[in-house]
This record gives sequence, C-alpha cells and structure tokens, in this order.
Amino acid sequence: MSVTAWIELIFSGLITGGIYALVALGLNLQYGLMRILNIAHGEFLMLGAYLTWMVQTSFGISPFLMIPVSFVVLMGMGLAIHWLCFRRLTATSSNIDIFEARGLMVSFGLMFLIQNLVSAIWGGELRGYDYMAEPVVMGQAQFAGNKLVVFAMALVFSLGLMVLLRKTLLGKGVRALMQSQVGAQLVGINTRTLHPLMFGIGLGLSGLAGCLLSMAYTISPAMGEPYTVTALIVITLGGFGSMGGALAGGLLLGVIEAFGMHFTNPSLKALLSYVVFIGVLLLRPKGLFTK
Amino acid sequence: MNTNANLWRDVLVLFGLTGWALALPSYGNEFVVSMALTCLMYVALSTSWGFFCGSSRYLSLATSAFFGLGAYTTAMNLDTMPWANAIALGSGIAAAVAVVMGLAVLHLRGTYFAVLTFGMAELIRHAISYYEKSVHGTVGRVLTTVPEMSTIYHTVLLLAVITVALSIFLRRTRFGLALLGIGGDEQRAQTLGVNTRWVKVAGFAFTAAVAGGVGAAMAVRWTYIDPHTAFNPFIGFQTVLIALIGGAMTLWGPLIAAIVFSILAETLRLQAPQIYMMTLGLLLILSVLYLPGGLASMRWQTFKDWYLDMRQWYKDTKYILSGDKARDKQRAKERRIVGL
Repeated sequence: MSVTAWIELIFSGLITGGIYALVALGLNLQYGLMRILNIAHGEFLMLGAYLTWMVQTSFGISPFLMIPVSFVVLMGMGLAIHWLCFRRLTATSSNIDIFEARGLMVSFGLMFLIQNLVSAIWGGELRGYDYMAEPVVMGQAQFAGNKLVVFAMALVFSLGLMVLLRKTLLGKGVRALMQSQVGAQLVGINTRTLHPLMFGIGLGLSGLAGCLLSMAYTISPAMGEPYTVTALIVITLGGFGSMGGALAGGLLLGVIEAFGMHFTNPSLKALLSYVVFIGVLLLRPKGLFTK
Repeated sequence: MNTNANLWRDVLVLFGLTGWALALPSYGNEFVVSMALTCLMYVALSTSWGFFCGSSRYLSLATSAFFGLGAYTTAMNLDTMPWANAIALGSGIAAAVAVVMGLAVLHLRGTYFAVLTFGMAELIRHAISYYEKSVHGTVGRVLTTVPEMSTIYHTVLLLAVITVALSIFLRRTRFGLALLGIGGDEQRAQTLGVNTRWVKVAGFAFTAAVAGGVGAAMAVRWTYIDPHTAFNPFIGFQTVLIALIGGAMTLWGPLIAAIVFSILAETLRLQAPQIYMMTLGLLLILSVLYLPGGLASMRWQTFKDWYLDMRQWYKDTKYILSGDKARDKQRAKERRIVGL
C-alpha cells in the first residue's frame, strides 16, 4: 500500500472519529458528570437534525445559523424534562445506584416517546438535503466538504468545552459537583440550579451535534440508536466525564474502524466497534487513558 | 406460617390460571389464541427476568440475545430434530452462553452491567448475521416444517407454567433468599457465607434458559426469520418494561402487566403503532416516578399518598402564586431589622 493511501485512510478515520467525538459530547456531560445514563441521547440528536432539516428545506436558512437555534431549543427541552422527571427522581432515590437505575429507565421511556412522536409527525422515510456536498481535494486525497466542516466543528466544540470546564468558575463548579454533591453544596455551589443547567446543556449539545450531522448524513426517526451506542463506546474509551479522553477516544475509534474495515470486511464494522466496547469495559472500565 | 399460606395461595392461583389458559383455544377464535400466545410468551420472559434481575437488582438487557439464540437453534435444527429436543437444545445453548457471559460480566454492578449486557446482545446479533452472510450466503431462513398452532400454544403454556412454578418455589429456597440478599447488600451476603458468584451466574442462566426456550418455541410462528426479527431488541426492552411496570420484585406483578400489555399491544399496535409505543414510554416514566414498586405494590394507601401529595403540591403552589410567600419573607425581614 502506498503512502498516500495510508494517509487517506488515516484521515478518513480521523474525520469519522471527530464526528464520533462530537456525538459523545452531550452524553459525556450527562453520564460522566451527573450519572444520568441518557439512552435517549440519540433521539435528542435526531430532534436537532429534524429541526435543522425542516427549517433548511422550508425556509432555506443556512444550517450554520441553526446551530445556536437547535442548541437553545434542545436546552429548553432539557430544562423542562429535568424539572418534570429528574427533580423528583433525585428527591426520592435513596442512593446513587438506585438513582442511576431509575434514571436509565426514565430515559428508556423518553426514547420510545420521542422516536415514535417524530415518526408519527414526519413519517419513517429517510430525509436529507444537499449542503456543501462537493468534494475538497487535498493533495491526492479528496474528502466531502460537509464532513470536513463537521470535523472542524467537532474539534472546536470539544476543545471549547474543555477550556470552559477547566478555566471558568462555572466549569470548576461543575467539576466539583462531579466529585461530590454534598461537598459542592458545602462550599457554596448552588446545585439546585447547576444540576438542571448541566442536563440542559447536555441536551443542547446533542441537538447541536444533530444539527451538524444533518449536513452530512441522511436522517430518519430510527437514526438515534446507533449514535447512542457510538457515544457510549466513545465515552467508555475516554473514561466517563473526561472531555479530552472522549475526543481522543472518538478519534481512536474512527481510526480503528477505518483500518479494520480496510483490512477485513466492511460488514464487520458494527461487530468491530462492539468488540472494542466490550473489551474496554471488561479490561479497562475506567477508560483507556487513566493511570 | 405466613409464607406457607402464601405458598398455597400462589399454587392455587397458578393452577386456576393454567386451567383457564388450557381451555381457551377450545372456545376462543384465532385472534384470541394468538393474543394469548403473545401474553404467555411475555409472562414467561418477564417472570424469569423479574426472578433474577428484580431480586438481585442486576439490570440485564440481554434477553433479546437469549431469545434470538433459541430462535436460531430451532431454525437450524428443526429439520433434523424432534420438536421437544429442539426447544431443549435452544434453552440449553442460551443457558450455556449466559454462564460464560455471567462469569465475565457479573462482577460489574449498576449501569455498567446494563450497558455491557446490551452491548453483548448486539454483538451476538451482529456476529450471527455476519456468520449467516459469509457462510450460508443468505441473511434469513425459511422454516419449512412447522408444527401445528396448538402444539406451539401448549409448549409456550408449559414453559410459562414451569417458569412461574419455579419462581414460586425457588423464591422460598436458600437460592432465592441468597439472590434477595445480593440485591439488598452484596458484601453483607458474601460475609454471611453466600457464594455470590455462583448464585448470580445460576440465576442469570435460569433467566437465559427460559428466554432461549421461549425463543425456540416462538421462532416457528414467523416461518421466516432473520437476525433482525429474531434478535429484535424490542422484545428485550418490552420484557424489562413489563417486569418493571408490574413490579420486578413481586411474583404476580410481571404476570398482571404481561396480560395488560398484550391486550394493549394487540388492540393498538395494528391501528396506531406509534401511539402504542408512546403509551409504553409514558407509562414507563410514570411508573418509575410514581410507582417504583410496580403495579403489584398498589394498595389503597398508594392512592391516599397520591392524593395527599397532590394536595400538598396544590397548597404550595397557591402559597407561592398568591404572593403570600413573598409577603411572609418581607415580614420576616422587617422583624429582623426591628430586632436589631
């Protein structure tokens, strides 16, 4: 295999991996920081994608303008869902294990609810629109323009979130909340506003990811589940709650898949990612990059 | 004394229900029988799920994998094997897979376990569809020799009765109590001399054996199976939903919920599948939030508590919205100033 073919393979793996990292952002915030394993994550992503598709096809508004809109809409929804479900769940669960199990069940319910609501409104067929679909030539390799844009955005948002969590007071508060809820309350962090806010931001990020994904891929009501699974794999690889780990894990998974598909067989892709997932959960349950 | 009285009550109820289910095909039409078949399938699946996962609090999402393994065993072997052997083989294979899987993953608790079992179920599904594609060159299989409808019905009924009966008796043995102890506090159970590893693996294998047997029996209902229908994750989800809404810790909860859901499913699913699924989701959320013990834990006291909760909520909202809260705060502030 020539050098250019290798480079092309690695780059296409990295681009897919960047998209995986983008998909995992919201779930990482919710599961890593708040112990809510939101199985409906992919469904919220789908909502963001449908919102963008609908506005783009009926009003012709650029998907880029829809990025903040889908973030805000989904964030509002997240605040409402937290107020309706998770507030009571936090108050009535005696310990964190029970909270996790019940939160998982609630998000299963949300998954059924949203997926079927969308398919009742818009029908089950595949949708999509063309946006920056022409290939961009780099040296001898060429990539789809919209995927490059999504990749760049994924890097921007992952790095932005990392900086936000590390440098700002809000980020410090969130990290304190992640370490100990009681401790955070004792040092004067208002967990009653921070908790819903983080859940909302998590949903907002999944809406944002959906908005970006709708540029490059076709969308359907059933698109959510594979993305949820991918997001879970990525955050397990990177270690729950670690933004840098999730970015590295996403890129790694993309490259592994690209190589695996090239050297074995494209129909082994799903099998390969599940093998990686189970292997990491069994051997390094705290993530690949922890010491 | 009390448990013995309950034992006789449970056995009698099971006996009565079995008799009713046996008599059903002779007077019900085809639609009713097929509905009863679905119902019995979910009774077996969710009772066995509740027996292990309810009492030990290990949330397994792998039911669809065991179901599919059973279904595939029948599909591959029915031509060369008698019916009963095919079902026994199906449940045996599922149980064997569960033992291997359990030894690997049952040391992980909580959502780790749930996610891992889900991942393994998907792994098995993809592995089988890859195997079928690369070795046999097709994705689906057509079942040519299909037994009579009444044979299928009686087989599934037998499986359901065995499951409920085992669940009645096992819950009173050391084994069932050990599972309950693991659910309460695993370390304490270990300290008290329970070999938690083997108890968990055995419980998991029991769940898998039932799911495999039911899958093996139900496979012939479809006449054409492919990995997507046999390993349909929805079967696993619905089992968990039924057990949780009915009350996973209880014996009769899953059974009650299975009956309710089968009727709901058969009446709503054909006309409005989306509405059925949305109801399912909504019911799940409501039952997790307001009825954590499930339908079987419902007593008069539950309604009373709901009523009191509502009244308290109404009072609180009125207090805030009428401005009394703000006024009270203001007065308390003024009093502090005067006190200075």
